[in-house]
Amino acid sequence: MIKVQNLSKKFADNIVLNGIDFEVAHGEIVVIIGPSGTGKSTLLRCLNYLETPSSGVIEIADAKVDSATATAAQITNLRKKSSFVFQNYSLFANKTALQNVAESLITVWKEPKLVALKQAEKTLQQVGLGEKIHQYPSQLSGGQQQRVGIARAMAAKGEVILFDEPTSSLDPEWVDEVLAVMKQLAVQKQTMIIVTHEMQFAREVANRVIFMEGGNIVEQGTPKQIFEKPQHQRTKEFVGRTVKQNLSALDSAML
Amino acid sequence: MQMPLDVQYIIELLPILLKYLSVTMEMAILGFCFAIILAVILAIVRVFKLPVLHNFAGLFISFFRGTPLLVQLFLLYYGLPQVMPIFAGVDAFSAAIIGLSLHFSAYMAESIRAAIMGVNKSQMEACLSIGMTRLQAMRRIILPQATRVATPSLMNYFIDMIKSTSLAFTLGVAEIMAKAQMEASSSFKYFESFLAVALIYWAVIEIFSRLQHYLEIRMNRAY
Repeated sequence: MIKVQNLSKKFADNIVLNGIDFEVAHGEIVVIIGPSGTGKSTLLRCLNYLETPSSGVIEIADAKVDSATATAAQITNLRKKSSFVFQNYSLFANKTALQNVAESLITVWKEPKLVALKQAEKTLQQVGLGEKIHQYPSQLSGGQQQRVGIARAMAAKGEVILFDEPTSSLDPEWVDEVLAVMKQLAVQKQTMIIVTHEMQFAREVANRVIFMEGGNIVEQGTPKQIFEKPQHQRTKEFVGRTVKQNLSALDSAML
Repeated sequence: MQMPLDVQYIIELLPILLKYLSVTMEMAILGFCFAIILAVILAIVRVFKLPVLHNFAGLFISFFRGTPLLVQLFLLYYGLPQVMPIFAGVDAFSAAIIGLSLHFSAYMAESIRAAIMGVNKSQMEACLSIGMTRLQAMRRIILPQATRVATPSLMNYFIDMIKSTSLAFTLGVAEIMAKAQMEASSSFKYFESFLAVALIYWAVIEIFSRLQHYLEIRMNRAY
């Protein structure tokens, strides 16, 4: 359903993505891991054209954009096929939780306002925020804001939801409630591409794990393959290190 | 020896002048409305860097900020009809409103642009990510947030505009300043006449300053 061909992104002389190819099937949950600054977020942002690729073709469902010939209309159409969950939530500051979630339905999909608000309320209930629908983002905790962010992405009628380190700027106490919502989406077979450092979550939820480094996909496979029998030396080092970190975190938690 | 200040004359003059306040306020309010519309368009053209229009907007803003309002009014009302006869039909009142709105739109465009640029970039990204166009994002999310930031300085321009309407008397508009001038030259009580008109301006501005203060408190409460 998603097909990326030869996707490259350069910032001046710095090559951030180096001819990436990959495909994602409908209902698949793909987790992208790797060291910081290896192009994981840039890849995700290119899929939504928040970043303009230097070259490459992106296809989501029936929308296809070649960066060499992209028009504004094609880009807008592609963006409608995906939605994005930001690391820093990026909720609309001047809108309530309900209005945040309803915005795409009203403005992009031209649904009658009442229908849109009703749908938005249902979506907020799904993420456990039925009580907070009239609060502004500034009145919500980080975890609640990110759940509104996910609800906004769910409501946007995209084929796929892109998560860019959705728990990285959260206080530890709010991480679980956000992961729980994402797990619930996984059960519903919502197609998702997730950039995260939550290795435990990746193991539990992903159908496929992609390890990226230096703008390339180094290795991909099932969570079992990547975490237990990594083939590539760099993957071994990265996975080994994060597992060790998790263990020492566990140790200190037990102390 | 005459009394230095004829208070009685001022008191009698105030209601006469107040009758002309409506002309002043009409110019200020109409001018401000046109100026805001123009300023938002200019600001958006500048923010999006629309080709050609962007350069034109830059030139426009530069000219209307770089020359005195009085010169602009004279150019518009006395000068333009000589080279473009269609403008000969424009009366002084309309010319003053046009001049005021052009002049102030240039200033206001810059503060609206600054307010737009001040809205966090992630707000635009969030709009785009769910499939909104840049124009939809502007209208629904960015401009409403920028409005809150720009309101204090726009209110200042409105206050400035009320005072600047006094220049319209040089075009022959019968507004409050023109009336004061007329009364002064018939009674020879220049000080009293101009003091009276100053007091009226001051009172009006004071009312709007209070309103501005109240508006700012209300807007900051919103979210």
